[in-house]
Amino acid sequence: MDEFEEILQDFLVEAFELLEQLDQDLVELENAPEDLELLNRIFRVAHTIKGASSFLNFDVLTHLTHHMEDVLNKARHGELVLDADIMDVVLESIDLMKALLITIRDTSKDQGVELGDIVSRLDKISGGDGDVPAPVVEAEATPSPQAVKAASTEEEIDYSELSEDDIEAEIQRLLVERQESDKAKRAAKKAAGESVPEIPDTPSSEPEKSSALAPVAAPVVAKKVEPKSDDSKAPAPAAKATVVEQTIRVDVKRLDHLMNLIGELVLGKNRLIKINDDVEERYEGEEFLEELNQVVSIVSLVTTDLQIAVMKTRMLPIGKVFNKFPRMIRDLSRELNKKIELVIDGEDTELDKSIVEEIGDPLVHIIRNSCDHGIEMPAVRAAAGKPELGIITLKAYNEGNHIVIQIDDDGKGLDADMLRTKSIEKEIITEKEADNMSDKEAFGLIFKPGFSTAAQVTNVSGRGVGMDVVKTNIERLNGIIDIESKVGVGTEMKLKIPLTLAIIQALLVAVQEEFYAIPLASVLETVRISKEEVYTVENRSVMRLREEVLSLVHIGDIFEVERIFDHNEYSYVVVIGLAESKLGLIVDSLVGQEEIVIKSLGEYLKGIEGIAGATIRGDGGVTLICDVAALMQMATTVKSTVAISGGDDDEPTEKNKPSDYKVLIVDDSKTDRLIMSKSLAPLGITLVEASDGLEALNILKSGEHSFDGMLIDIEMPRMDGYTLAGEIKKYSKYKHIPLIAVTSRTGKADRMRGVEAGMVEYITKPYSPDYLMSVVKRNIKMTMEA
Amino acid sequence: MSEKLQQIINKQQIQDDPSLTDLDDIVQLVGFVIGDEEYSVPILSIQEIIKPISWTRVPQTPNYVLGVFNLRGSVIPLIDLRMRFGLREQKHTEDTRFIVIKDEDEVAGFVIDRLTEAIRLSKRDIGPAPEAAQTSDTMIEGVGKQKDKILTILKVAKLLERTF
Repeated sequence: MDEFEEILQDFLVEAFELLEQLDQDLVELENAPEDLELLNRIFRVAHTIKGASSFLNFDVLTHLTHHMEDVLNKARHGELVLDADIMDVVLESIDLMKALLITIRDTSKDQGVELGDIVSRLDKISGGDGDVPAPVVEAEATPSPQAVKAASTEEEIDYSELSEDDIEAEIQRLLVERQESDKAKRAAKKAAGESVPEIPDTPSSEPEKSSALAPVAAPVVAKKVEPKSDDSKAPAPAAKATVVEQTIRVDVKRLDHLMNLIGELVLGKNRLIKINDDVEERYEGEEFLEELNQVVSIVSLVTTDLQIAVMKTRMLPIGKVFNKFPRMIRDLSRELNKKIELVIDGEDTELDKSIVEEIGDPLVHIIRNSCDHGIEMPAVRAAAGKPELGIITLKAYNEGNHIVIQIDDDGKGLDADMLRTKSIEKEIITEKEADNMSDKEAFGLIFKPGFSTAAQVTNVSGRGVGMDVVKTNIERLNGIIDIESKVGVGTEMKLKIPLTLAIIQALLVAVQEEFYAIPLASVLETVRISKEEVYTVENRSVMRLREEVLSLVHIGDIFEVERIFDHNEYSYVVVIGLAESKLGLIVDSLVGQEEIVIKSLGEYLKGIEGIAGATIRGDGGVTLICDVAALMQMATTVKSTVAISGGDDDEPTEKNKPSDYKVLIVDDSKTDRLIMSKSLAPLGITLVEASDGLEALNILKSGEHSFDGMLIDIEMPRMDGYTLAGEIKKYSKYKHIPLIAVTSRTGKADRMRGVEAGMVEYITKPYSPDYLMSVVKRNIKMTMEA
Repeated sequence: MSEKLQQIINKQQIQDDPSLTDLDDIVQLVGFVIGDEEYSVPILSIQEIIKPISWTRVPQTPNYVLGVFNLRGSVIPLIDLRMRFGLREQKHTEDTRFIVIKDEDEVAGFVIDRLTEAIRLSKRDIGPAPEAAQTSDTMIEGVGKQKDKILTILKVAKLLERTF
């Protein structure tokens, strides 16, 4: 039974693949009906499917393909010219065949699809009288109970448990039955004045895959083919023809697992690089560093290659999706009475499998839309001085880490004003919004749910659903939609989609002490702005970006970040784009670009608005990844407090007297602390003491004091001066505090480290009180005298 | 030294007393303190217990969800049980621990004030939750009676259930 399942699975996979090819070939055939090569190929496909399905006892399917084969065979022998009407019937029967195969896939039975009508039409075309006895009855009446079971139910006899003789007997029995029924059919055909080239030619690839059946099945095939091979061109190598390259079928789950593992490896690599940097800093000039460096480089190089290699295994040519469009265009142009030609380019461009699966639907909708609304009726085109034949171009190409799918038509183009009026009519936007809309934004209106410009709902489009689907699907893929259009000239739509979903490039941004990762695919640009550049329009913050007005939202408002301290003079705006919309996200600073692996937050925290997941950074910390689509949504409702100027309230408290200035002295030696306070006493400023880095940090964090400067010793227990400085610089709140190193370490390397750690001055012990005083005074910007 | 050893052995013997030998009737728990109360969860639901490490805040969550942390490559939610139980937030101390609890596929870390001990209780000594707490959304599985104190046993599934 397992073997049967296995054969069935292989059959289905093969059949679907063949069908895809078939569609394309048929459309091509209509344009070149004399192309014998093409015709032969199509015939072979029908033939192969017929053979395999009869072997698997799918009688309905066999019946259908058999009649298709008849028609095609006649065409092949030049007895029939395939015109558009015949083609319609053939294409329709292929659709039926697909439906049947889907039924088989889902239920393991080929019942429930009505095909009496189409078969008789096929029969008529091939010269019959159209009076075809439904074979279902005939076929089901004769086969032994076992055979029926084998084809239709899960609990059939287990062939693997039968003895070899039994199998032989069983096969012989089935064979005789088959031949009889075939004979009967042929007799019926002959009666209808037909020559019937009908061999249930079992494709050799099928039985070979089942080890138990193979030895027995092989002679069967031979027996069947030898005496009855009345059709010299009937191609046994049909199955082989489709397998040109050497390939292995791999379960997608395994690839997914592999991808997950690579993801972990990438995180490990990031971590390793970070540690390597730290080590490098600490043990500068040591010999082992060289080796470590090399190893880290190799590991990171190999990891990157490995990642690309695994990504490639998941890649499929986009042609897989494109292939179905010629057929679609053909049907649509007949239905709409338009003349349309589809030009496909770049079908070899590769995309991740999961994306290929998602991209099909949006493309169907876009192309339908282009056919229905874009391309005009031939008469209209002629009147406008265009060729009657409208051209839709579908092309795919790579652009950096993206793949771009571009759909152009030379139709009537989008009329921005008309779009605005229609949207106001349908109450999708207000008049005011319409006034503020650029043409490009107006084009984006076609993606709004409920929007349709079609005067009447046709079979093809006009329900106002399709383009909404496009937007949702493209958003899900983190893609961007770009529309260019000119009235009377045509429309150009670009879908920009990231190559893969699992491991992505991200822009890391900081707000206060928190970091967030924004998928780089959605980042259009970053801009540094000062607070003067932010305007408020109707309670919304906006800025002027070149000729556009960009609405702004502070990432801290979206993620409820407490804003304890104010920002620098400048902020950064990350312009994010998704589908057709744009938004400016204000952040405190840009951290950098990093390769991240998306991890879910787990069941407990899933579905948090605005968060797509989390990633683990090089330092082992967790960073949340923004869900750009959700951010855009939230931005419309979040109450904006963009005012970059923020709460300036606590920082520049008026300094009226010297004691308003506060300086923190950090030194582990009590004597040194005493010397420092003595030296600074004449200034009259307030001094606070800490005996090591940790204590100093705690005092600082407690928020009790607000320091204007710090004097830091380098060598201290628990936490030394460099580490302390590094820690302090991590908090943007304290970043501006001038740090002055006071130490007996005088080496140049020490000084360098001090500077690197963020110290502004470097005083070596011993020092004169005056010198210390002047340095402190300068750094805390004290202007008054004591 | 040997005296101490003897003590431990004695203690173990007490725990191994005959009434507790029938394994089917034994529930093994891990006890911990939150505020002034002692709670416990079944030992088998605990994946591991770690010292506090840094975590990342997650926005739009109730205050008792501290955020997420990285446990050897997995991103795991962190929940402060003090705040979950309506107590005031407290600074982490030397004794603070993260208990990583697992129920089927659900994993989360819980911040507790301090661990007490592993406890073996006979099923006979476990009573139902007090009537006042017997609502459908109670987090109390039952109450264990020990010689000198009682012990609240928490419902693991309920702890791991998202309530916002």
